[in-house]
Amino acid sequence: MTKALLKKQMMEVFAWIYKNRKTGKLRSKQGMVGYIVLYLLLFALLGSVFFVAAITLCEPLVMSGLGWFYWCLMGLISVFFGVFGSVFNTYASLYQAKDNDFLLSMPIPTSRILLARMVGVYAMGLMYLLIVIVPTIIVWFMTVSISVSGLICVLLISILLSILILVLAAVLGWAVALIAGKLKHKNLVTVFASLVFIGAYYYFYARASVMLQDLLRNAENVSNQMKIVLYPLYHMGLAAEGNWLSMMFFAACVLAVFGIVYAVLSFSFLKLATTNRGAARKAYKEQAVKVRSIESALLQKELRRFLGSSNYMLNCGLGILFMPLGAAALVWKAADVRMFLELAALDNYIPLIAAAGIGVVATMNDITAPSVSLEGKSLWLVQVFPVTAKQALTAKLKLHLLLTVIPAIPLIAVVEWLLAMTPFYAIFVPVVSVLFIFLMAVLGLVINLKMPNLNWTNEIVPIKQSMGVMFALFGGWVIIIVSGVLYVLVKKFFGMEVYFVLISLLMLMVSGMLYRWLMTKGADIFQSLA
Amino acid sequence: MLKIENLVKVYGEKKAVDDLSLHIQPGEIYGFIGHNGAGKTTTLKACCGILQYDGGEIFVDGVSIKEDPIGCKKKIAYIPDNPDLYEFMTGIQFLNFVADIFGVSSEVRQERIRHYADAFELTKDLAQPISSYSHGMKQKLAIISALVHEPCLIIMDEPFVGLDPKATHLLKEIMKEMCSCGCAIFFSTHVLEVAEKLCDKVAIIKAGKLIRSGTMEEVKGDTSLEDVFLELEGEK
Repeated sequence: MTKALLKKQMMEVFAWIYKNRKTGKLRSKQGMVGYIVLYLLLFALLGSVFFVAAITLCEPLVMSGLGWFYWCLMGLISVFFGVFGSVFNTYASLYQAKDNDFLLSMPIPTSRILLARMVGVYAMGLMYLLIVIVPTIIVWFMTVSISVSGLICVLLISILLSILILVLAAVLGWAVALIAGKLKHKNLVTVFASLVFIGAYYYFYARASVMLQDLLRNAENVSNQMKIVLYPLYHMGLAAEGNWLSMMFFAACVLAVFGIVYAVLSFSFLKLATTNRGAARKAYKEQAVKVRSIESALLQKELRRFLGSSNYMLNCGLGILFMPLGAAALVWKAADVRMFLELAALDNYIPLIAAAGIGVVATMNDITAPSVSLEGKSLWLVQVFPVTAKQALTAKLKLHLLLTVIPAIPLIAVVEWLLAMTPFYAIFVPVVSVLFIFLMAVLGLVINLKMPNLNWTNEIVPIKQSMGVMFALFGGWVIIIVSGVLYVLVKKFFGMEVYFVLISLLMLMVSGMLYRWLMTKGADIFQSLA
Repeated sequence: MLKIENLVKVYGEKKAVDDLSLHIQPGEIYGFIGHNGAGKTTTLKACCGILQYDGGEIFVDGVSIKEDPIGCKKKIAYIPDNPDLYEFMTGIQFLNFVADIFGVSSEVRQERIRHYADAFELTKDLAQPISSYSHGMKQKLAIISALVHEPCLIIMDEPFVGLDPKATHLLKEIMKEMCSCGCAIFFSTHVLEVAEKLCDKVAIIKAGKLIRSGTMEEVKGDTSLEDVFLELEGEK
């Protein structure tokens, strides 16, 4: 029974290798191999970052007789990375699996179901762990002499670390399950928490080199503190160096924690997996309603769709936050920016750089790009209601424009103030920026109509994993880069002012043509989608 | 109210609906029966403008759905077999959205929502997101949204699936009440007893072709609708 459960779980975890998520069809053998190679390359790329960190740390620490400290640090990084990578999946895998009810209705002990689910989480954590631990081991044996017992030690440490990742991910997943649903504005909280997480990640990533140097300078102090504060990790380090007593101590600690967590989770699994943890039910109270026009009702529906999905907001609407934040950052660092521009002698390109910069941040909003696909199975509603396809598509465009142009205003205003633009550019930088935003909105919708995916079961597929969204996002960058390169090529024929007028006209023309296509052929396609 | 003339719909090489003609008068409840894949849903979807058809014509209150789809849709309410509604809205937000689309005034919509939500015992759940609704609750909400704008023609695909006995009874009463006010109802069902008791007229479709239609008496004669259906399907 357990074997069958584990097999099912593994098939589920690794379905991305042999099954096309969009079509649900099995990949060909060549496709599968290609996919695996692609992922291996991606893992190698990520692993190279940790390889550099390991190289920086290993030799100086081993030379100072702090080899155990190297393992503590890399172990901590691998645990953090493994938990970070798998925790988002843990709650869904353990408690929200679609087949929970089905399995619970069968004569299978809940502890076995949990075990199978945890093996799935373990596999995810292991994948992330390997990205860090493989370079850690390679660098270790590049520094110290390789031996069979040494190899066994580091392999055992890797296995124990993977169990530790599982334990921490399961505990966090359990905590999420306990508080999930009790949050009032779950989507906004998710967006906020994700942004804090991403912010912290980039902060540490940007400061990694400085932190590593600091760490090496104060290695003795930090290692002494670690011995006290994280005593089991100290023994993990010693175990990696070949101390079998420490190995037994660390293994006992990890396995004991695993046993306790597994027992607690088994005890609460049934309740958490089957209880509807919806937020406290809000009683309906009849209120005066505002009657809206069709256009306004459709726009409100699009806005609710956007605000109702943390995935949609995080993946297609970050510009809403980053444009005002960018404006604030420019005000804060105004002197530095001015100094940089002076030093870089970029006077002749300033308006172009300004417009490109605004454009790059604006491309973080690709709200229209998955908007048709997101109609999904409820598409029939707009098709059966007395609304034209033009009205439905216009509502999508309007939302993109409102949520991008309004946040762009402070950014544009600050850029103009900071760069003290001439009256011509004071007019044309905003014109080009708004035209670019309009072009991106229309382009996203056109691409989505050409490549719709209405048969998704998880909204992340049209939002994150569709070619349309990729084309819309990178298409924006390509337009910006091509516009810049084009200016360099044609600047000997006319000045930047003429170029701004021409590029404005070109964008107006292209977006006008795309808009016309949307309102004619695009509307027909939308109406006939099924 | 609904006139289907020589309707043809082709999927690839398969004719899903083949030269189908039906006339549904105001005040009639018209049942549409047939085995799975016979072409019922295709016909119903074509009638409410969701599906483009390849031949024939459909008129709603004398207006071609091809010529004036918006004008026709203003008179229609459609309830699909699987009500995939906007899960990101609450029940009341969805009903207000539908009322806005159909231009129902504030007072009228509130009165209708109150009436039907109370009748279907959904009032207390209206503030909940639709994503938290069960299939039956979604079905009830879809029915209320169909009634909120008082359509002239209601097209329903398996409307009783997922409804509890009380809601089923209520829906049947509402159907009769709507028809007594001149509304026409065209619905598909597999529950032949319901069709027999509820419908004024019935049509039986097999492999896309209409094989029998008329008043209930004309179609079933002295036997039951089930017997006639099974006989036509070659099961008896």
